[in-house]
Amino acid sequence: MPDGSFSHPQERQFNPYTENGGTILAIAGADFSVVAGDTRQSEGYSIQTRYAPKVFRLTDRAVLAVNGFAADGNMFVKKVKQRLEWYRHAHAKDMPLRAIARLIQTMLYAQRFFPYYVYNILGGIEEDGTGAVYSFDPVGSYEREACRAAGAAQALVQPFLDNQIYFKNQQAPVGSSHPVHLPLQDVLSIVIDSFTSATERHIEVGDGLEIYVIVAKGRSPQGLESIRNVQELSTNPEGDRVFVIRRELKKD
Amino acid sequence: METAFGITGKGYVLIASDTTAVHSIVKVKTDVDKIKELSPFLLMATSGEPGDTVQFAEYIERNIRLYHIRNNFPLRPPSAASWIRRSLADSLRSRKPYSVNLLLGGYDVSTYKPHLYWMDYLGTLAEVPFAAHGYGSYFTLSLLDKYHDPEATVEEGLATLKRCIDEVSKRLVVSPDRFKVKIVDKDGVREIEV
Amino acid sequence: MNTLVQRFSTTGPAAEIRKAKEVLGEEDDVVDVMGFGNLASGVPKFSIPGVPDPSAFLKMHTDDFADPSCRIKIKHGTTTLAFRFKGGVIVAVDSRATAGSYIASGTVKKVIEINPYLLGTMAGGAADCQYWETYLGIQCRLHELRNRERISVAAASKYLSNLVYSYKGMGLSMGTMICGWDKTGPAVYYVDSDGTRLKGDVFSVGSGSTFAYGVLDQGYHWDLSDEEAQELGRRSIYAAGHRDAFSGNTINLYHVKEDGWKFIGNYDVSKMHYDGPDGRGGYGYDLRVEGKSSANPPSSA
Repeated sequence: MPDGSFSHPQERQFNPYTENGGTILAIAGADFSVVAGDTRQSEGYSIQTRYAPKVFRLTDRAVLAVNGFAADGNMFVKKVKQRLEWYRHAHAKDMPLRAIARLIQTMLYAQRFFPYYVYNILGGIEEDGTGAVYSFDPVGSYEREACRAAGAAQALVQPFLDNQIYFKNQQAPVGSSHPVHLPLQDVLSIVIDSFTSATERHIEVGDGLEIYVIVAKGRSPQGLESIRNVQELSTNPEGDRVFVIRRELKKD
Repeated sequence: METAFGITGKGYVLIASDTTAVHSIVKVKTDVDKIKELSPFLLMATSGEPGDTVQFAEYIERNIRLYHIRNNFPLRPPSAASWIRRSLADSLRSRKPYSVNLLLGGYDVSTYKPHLYWMDYLGTLAEVPFAAHGYGSYFTLSLLDKYHDPEATVEEGLATLKRCIDEVSKRLVVSPDRFKVKIVDKDGVREIEV
Repeated sequence: MNTLVQRFSTTGPAAEIRKAKEVLGEEDDVVDVMGFGNLASGVPKFSIPGVPDPSAFLKMHTDDFADPSCRIKIKHGTTTLAFRFKGGVIVAVDSRATAGSYIASGTVKKVIEINPYLLGTMAGGAADCQYWETYLGIQCRLHELRNRERISVAAASKYLSNLVYSYKGMGLSMGTMICGWDKTGPAVYYVDSDGTRLKGDVFSVGSGSTFAYGVLDQGYHWDLSDEEAQELGRRSIYAAGHRDAFSGNTINLYHVKEDGWKFIGNYDVSKMHYDGPDGRGGYGYDLRVEGKSSANPPSSA
């Protein structure tokens, strides 16, 4: 080149990844499941948008939260939804939750040598009517759990959840024991507190909060309808039901 | 690979060390004594940079002796440990630091207590019931968590020490073939055949 | 034969579909790769980044040991062990997963139940072990259907070994023990992603393995009773959980006998330290030596 720009060898690296901040979490109840995520999307110290959803309804009984590299995340959700639609066409029913979990594993592992940089949390209702949460690493190792936080504020939120959901480091009062599952209202309070606190202490968390609630077929939504800013997304009110609650988070 | 252990028992400290001097890929000598008898009731096993170990051990030995001559009584184990630690710490902050890790075992004749100290070249000091330096520590510390007894007789202590030596011989890639074992108790320091 | 001809012919319906797919930019592997349902016919395909050295690319983004600031942290750190004895095979593992110094999970299942007679352990990449040992389970079932006979531990482990060896240099990371009972009796094989496959009596794998070996070797002999063997497995993982920062949380214990494996229990490492498995005395050193003294005053004093 005339300006000499190619006269020296230049090192180039192919780096198709970035980190877009935000946090997601999910908690399983006895007959419901809650999946939540904030809506801020950032890169470095800049906020790209204050509303980029990270939680997606897959079926009437499955919700997927995706965190990490937003472009990979959106692509991945799109492909999962596509596979679920094919399944619906082939079998005339929605894919069961545990099968979706295994599907996500194989889809992530198919990218073992060029991974999707995404942490997935799948929440929903199992075929036996119990609430469930599955968490995944970027290349597809997964496990069913009662609660899980992932993303930028994972290290802030998970210890809080361990304490409030698993009652870690808490002694039950004499003559009583800790409950195995919490009621929906308690879980919602814990979720909201997790995000307001994470927003206070983490720069990549804030703007908006979307909480998806999946309630098992025939079970009471435990006063969910009367909650502020709630919207039902289910296609069939007789089956498992999906609701979304939207809240504001601090925007600084 | 260099390995040293120390364990306390009822009224004694046992210290074991490998006996090989290595240069490059060659075993230069296989009967090196790496456990210095600092005073009638103090033992010190050294490992680390060749040259530094012997130089530092002799420097410590002569100064402990000097203290004894000047004051007509020896330095007790806790004081000796503090002084050695300070010497290493000062050395670390000098132009040419000693790279020496050591185990210090002593018997305090006035309190009838055995003392074992673990020390590294950075001047980290800890008094412990059992100790190990080198790769051997990865195999033997868990073993000693299970088998060590602060009230063990010398025979029992030696049996536990033998477990350590056997384990290292079995699992460590380049395991030392011979160990020298010394004891310090109310009768002073001496070598024990294993 | 017909299908083979179809597959490679340049005319006919199959070729037309293939051409259409090429035009649409649709990848073959969309249908073939994902989901075990289609894997039985062959080995799955993986998408590879379009760079000169794909494994260097992968390493750059996933190897947190070489570069702690890399983005994709694959979980590491473990203690697993398995040993053979008179009464079968004992398999014991911890349950901690770490990403750097963060404890990503304390409830990981590091024993993979391949089928009722075969267990695999997980060390290294969690996804690699989980995926390939599940895949191995499928192949073992196919072996049963084809040969009307259960696969031997030797054959199952060899299958896995050959499989991971075919990916050598691509960045797979697994250190696993395939344990089971077959016609030859109890068997343990160590298989790792280098391609090493070893038959043996006692193995421990992971960052805490040296600590586990220390306790295991000293307590091991062939004629252990079932209870003694289970206690040894549990005690060895406790030792590693206590001494290795990357291991801990809980212990999962399995026992393989002639009629297949049995899950013995899940034990909290902290509870083992203070109370022990039956509440009668913990494993902890400080508890064990409490009140003991090395001082040796003359008896007259």
